[in-house]
Amino acid sequence: MAHILLVEDSPEVSLSVREILASVGHTVEEAASGTEGLKRLRASKFDLIVSDIWMPEMDGIALLKEIRGAGDDIPVVVISGGAPNAPLTYTAPLAATFGANVVVYKPFEKAELLKAIETVLAD
Amino acid sequence: MTTAFAAAVHNISDFDRLTARALLEAMASAAVVLDGAGTLVAHNARAEDLLQTHVLAVVGKVIEGPFRMMADRARRMGDGTTSVTFDQALGNTWYHVSVYPIWAQTGGPMLQIIAATDITQQKHAEFEIRESEARLEEATRIAQLGTYKLHWDTEAIQWSPHMFVIHGLSPGSFIHTRETYNALVHPEDRELFDQYRRDQFEGKALRGAEYRIVRKGAVRWLRLDGRVLFDAEGEPYASFGTCQDITEAKQREQELKSLLRRNAILYEALDASPIGVAVVTTDGPRPEVFYVNAEFERLTGFKTSTLAKNTIEALQPKEEAGEWQKVAQALNTSSAGAFELLCARLNGTSFLAQLEIAPVRDHPGRDAMVFVLNLRDITIDRQRAEALLQSQKMEALGQLSGGVAHEINNLLQPMLALSELGIDIADSDPEKVRKYFEVIASSGRKARDIVRQVLTFARRDAPQLAPYAISFLVADALRLLQSGLPPGISLEQDIAVGDAEAVVNPTQVSQVVLNLVKNAADAMDGEGAVRVALTVVDLDVAAAAALTLTPGRWIRLRVADEGCGMDAYTLSRVFEPFFTTKLAGRGTGLGLSVVYSIVTGWGGTLKLESEVDHGTTAVVYIPTAPSS
Repeated sequence: MAHILLVEDSPEVSLSVREILASVGHTVEEAASGTEGLKRLRASKFDLIVSDIWMPEMDGIALLKEIRGAGDDIPVVVISGGAPNAPLTYTAPLAATFGANVVVYKPFEKAELLKAIETVLAD
Repeated sequence: MTTAFAAAVHNISDFDRLTARALLEAMASAAVVLDGAGTLVAHNARAEDLLQTHVLAVVGKVIEGPFRMMADRARRMGDGTTSVTFDQALGNTWYHVSVYPIWAQTGGPMLQIIAATDITQQKHAEFEIRESEARLEEATRIAQLGTYKLHWDTEAIQWSPHMFVIHGLSPGSFIHTRETYNALVHPEDRELFDQYRRDQFEGKALRGAEYRIVRKGAVRWLRLDGRVLFDAEGEPYASFGTCQDITEAKQREQELKSLLRRNAILYEALDASPIGVAVVTTDGPRPEVFYVNAEFERLTGFKTSTLAKNTIEALQPKEEAGEWQKVAQALNTSSAGAFELLCARLNGTSFLAQLEIAPVRDHPGRDAMVFVLNLRDITIDRQRAEALLQSQKMEALGQLSGGVAHEINNLLQPMLALSELGIDIADSDPEKVRKYFEVIASSGRKARDIVRQVLTFARRDAPQLAPYAISFLVADALRLLQSGLPPGISLEQDIAVGDAEAVVNPTQVSQVVLNLVKNAADAMDGEGAVRVALTVVDLDVAAAAALTLTPGRWIRLRVADEGCGMDAYTLSRVFEPFFTTKLAGRGTGLGLSVVYSIVTGWGGTLKLESEVDHGTTAVVYIPTAPSS
């Protein structure tokens, strides 16, 4: 089972994702922004990051830049519900460009996310 | 009889006497011979009329009358030793008089012969010539014409007095030679003038010559018109001509030329214009088209000739009367105007046109009799504007849908995941499932609110507006709000509009107040005062213009906070749907754009005043009902 950093500003989304991950035995640390996520990443060791894209303060793209910029190749699963003022399809290529391993679109079902995580961890 | 004369008479022979007598009679003139004392010695037959009395009565006596007068005049003119001639008038008759002295063989003059020839006819001819010369001179003086006469054999030239005036010379000071005249001629015209002079001498058909001279430093234009004079044998012997200073005429000619050139340029410029231009005159019974440019002709098919007398009514399609009536009204009232209307072509089709009319006033305040019309085909502009509007709509829709999708997806996410997880553990962990349901329900409510907001935003023109006492509506909204505000936030109200009525929709007033107060509260970190003020303001022209409102009475709603304020960037984007600085779950980014949409829908406006760390004030201007 993996130790996962979950970065998500919506408390309800964060709760639901945490519950999905916990239901199969992953351990989860939650962060409400990119800045907080980065802080936790420096403090502990994680097997995987699940991150939202559109967040106040530091968003998911900025977080990815920081992580990959530091040479960290930790797997990153991006969860996205799209962004205001941008088409929904815009997020995936953007996240991929900045080093996300996979993008899962909100709203997703339990199995979708777990399968994505399984695939990324297997690589 | 003097002694000398007696001696002389004594000495001449009978032959001499007869010869002298014959000579005397042969003379063509009336002739008498007088001695020094004026005694008539001899006369011829022609002299008898002039002697006036019977000849026999005067021979040997001192005479009176015409011959005496002539003798006296000759004496006055000379010393009596030389012959003199003069013209003498006697009544209507003119005589040419010659007086010759006859010398004694010894001593001084002894006799004189007075010969008088009737020259009345010549004199009259001479007078006529003189008179005609005087008339010519007067005519040339009036016409400012100079005349000249050039004698071919000597090249001598005679100038009339005005010739000197024309050349700026005084008659005594100028010696006319080819060289001195050439010096007067403008250097650039000397060759031309020489050619003209050669042509005169070569007897070529003379035409006028126009050339410049330099007169006292100033360039003047002259025109010479000459003709050849022929003698009795038909041989040319002189040329005669007139000379005129045509400087003013030349200047007028130049002015006319440049005016014509200017006109031509203006016409060409008008024809090159991408805008249809027509000039209409209204001094006749109906407006007449005086001119159309090429573009106007291209647009309508009408030429000036086909429109003239036809009036601009030809441009009015049968199906469109209203706008064209306004055009006629503008022409009647000398006013300017811009119209969008259907314009007919000559071929019967029509197009959507923009027509601008401007009066051309020759006198301020007086009715214009001339109008300029600018005509454009705006079919394509209109299509482009519609396409642009459509693309803007699509862009706004894209933005809106992107924002809605983001919000709804983030609410659907816990609803979907937690229901799924809840089903799995429904039996094992009911406590957890209850917690899941709470989150699911709250997410559902948030989704509902978003949908409502979006509908408000989308249906901006739907609600009915009517006059309401604005103070009650705002007070009601604030009462409902109060309970929902965080404990540290106080609400201060200053509602001072009496029973002033605003033209609004009551539900929308609550939405506006709710959104603004909620924003104000959110801007403060759980502590501070939100001040709501409602006042009636009278906007003057300048104040109204600054707000892009009409001058007059407005109701002003101010909602001020003591919060973090906004920087310029945030302020510039704050009306965009879904633009938010709030954390997820605390705001959708729709609030201000909804307020803006509602308020502008009323015909009012929303302004934000903000400074970082000093708070934000939202100011809403609401239209008043006419009675308040």
